[in-house]
Amino acid sequence: MGMKFNAVYAVFIAGVILLGCNQSGGSESGGENAGKKLVIGATMLSMQNEFIVNVSDEMESRAKALDVELITVDAERSALKQVEQVESFIAQGVDAIIMNPCEVEASSPAVKLAMNAKIPIINVNSETSAKPTAFVGSDDTESARIAMKYIAEKLGGKGNVLIMHGFMGQAAQLKRDAGAKEVLKANPGLKLLAEQSGEWDRAKAMSLTENWIQSYGNQINAIFAHNDEMGMGAVKALEAAGLKNKVIVISVDAIPDALQAVKKGTLDATIYQNAAQQGGTAIETAIKAAKKEAFKKEVLIPFQLVTKENVGEFLKQ
Amino acid sequence: MIIGTQVSINALLAFGVTFVIITGGIDLSLGSMVAVTGVVAATFAHPDTYPLAVPLLAGLGAGLLFGAFNGFVVTKSKVPPFIVTLGTMTIGRGLALILSKGRPVSNLSDPFNFIGGGNVFGIPFPIIILIIAFLVCSVILNKTILGRYMYAVGGNEPAARASGIGVNRVKMWVYTICGILSALGGILLTSRITTGQPNAGAGFELDAIAAAIIGGTSTSGGTGTMTGTLIGALLIGVISNSLDLLNVTSYYQQVVMGVIIIGAVVLDSAGKKERG
Repeated sequence: MGMKFNAVYAVFIAGVILLGCNQSGGSESGGENAGKKLVIGATMLSMQNEFIVNVSDEMESRAKALDVELITVDAERSALKQVEQVESFIAQGVDAIIMNPCEVEASSPAVKLAMNAKIPIINVNSETSAKPTAFVGSDDTESARIAMKYIAEKLGGKGNVLIMHGFMGQAAQLKRDAGAKEVLKANPGLKLLAEQSGEWDRAKAMSLTENWIQSYGNQINAIFAHNDEMGMGAVKALEAAGLKNKVIVISVDAIPDALQAVKKGTLDATIYQNAAQQGGTAIETAIKAAKKEAFKKEVLIPFQLVTKENVGEFLKQ
Repeated sequence: MIIGTQVSINALLAFGVTFVIITGGIDLSLGSMVAVTGVVAATFAHPDTYPLAVPLLAGLGAGLLFGAFNGFVVTKSKVPPFIVTLGTMTIGRGLALILSKGRPVSNLSDPFNFIGGGNVFGIPFPIIILIIAFLVCSVILNKTILGRYMYAVGGNEPAARASGIGVNRVKMWVYTICGILSALGGILLTSRITTGQPNAGAGFELDAIAAAIIGGTSTSGGTGTMTGTLIGALLIGVISNSLDLLNVTSYYQQVVMGVIIIGAVVLDSAGKKERG
């Protein structure tokens, strides 16, 4: 009866581990005695992404400052996991939910579930097709417009461009693509050599760029990457091939790593998306919605172009 | 109830892979099969196109073919199942992207979305599917000749062969069943997130294998039960759910899960030595 023997022990281990975890969280659960502390549940796209972690960190500190309890979980890029996490939040009876959606369509059921349960749900950073209680983020089309205009300006309206997409089908990818294509259309001198997904990932972007260098070599004039992680990967590959000073690279997010690169001049420019402001505003909106106070249904936080000239201001933040 | 719904997909895959592991094989293509079958089902599930049976049969059919292909390559070539299914895992992911042109397939009909999101007599439909699948799988494993042959093949393949068991036929069966159960998981997933996602299911194979192993299925074959696997899947579900609710950072959650998997196997082999 190996199975029974084993299963009993497995339950035992689980018990021990859960107990251990519970104890470490003991100081927080003590706060429950205080009574009506608001509880907000937050599910984030991926806690392995620096930008999202920045949003989450600010949410954490703002929640602390405003004395609400924040439960943050990681959807690990899985929409299914995200829907399940929202289900758990609803079952737990949280006062508001903040969701950083994994996907436009596939995360939508979560919004519907929360709305049906009459729990306010705030989408942060990225959108879903289902309409949430409120949205806090930036208009991604704008970021791509800024980036492509920068490329157009630097190349004098003429040259070969490569575009590196995020995860296909995500709101940010679709919108950044739309914005970039808009500017390309307005600048017939810019030719799109190729476009591929680097899946928001630095390593993937690096090998993608290596392949591009093999196929296009000296023809490449500029690369627009949908996020900084990929932009940094592209820079690495270009540097290794000795082509960096010939190719303009611009990406979006202004993560610390990218700001350093802009300062050093390896990355030409990045687009600053205000992670802290998004996280902070999301918490504030969630609290207002939970308390049934007036709040803005859509808060758009503007993007800013960061180049070597103004990178200093952003490094301080 | 929520945990039941949440573990349903993993449990279905775990049932499938339990059959495979009992015969001494492994199937790494589960997650890709979930994606392919989900995309196939979603393609036929747009509102006002086909009746509900069409996407369901198309999805299950795709799973059956995929599983049978795994079984065919494993039995006809001398390549270990680990390698074969590692290959088909990548093939499957590619197929899912090709079939969906890299875009999520959305706008699915209400009846289709009911499968993953609806309730019958207050019980979430995924739980009903889970219970039926569990009963069917248990019967196959415990009450049929095929089930007994699976244990025989996994316990000692040359002996099984010598005693006249059609080893290859048994293997074809387990991979095919595994494919069908993965398709069921794929349909459930697609319905739950109301989208056929080509990127869905990545890493699902590992959770399913973990559930089977925690439940006492030996990776060297020959032992394992559906009840054990169900317990394993529930355990993983309960743990990740509780860790979420306890606000344990996801980084630690992964560590905990790994410790549990290793711990289960260590205890299992320790138990065997004691008894042996």
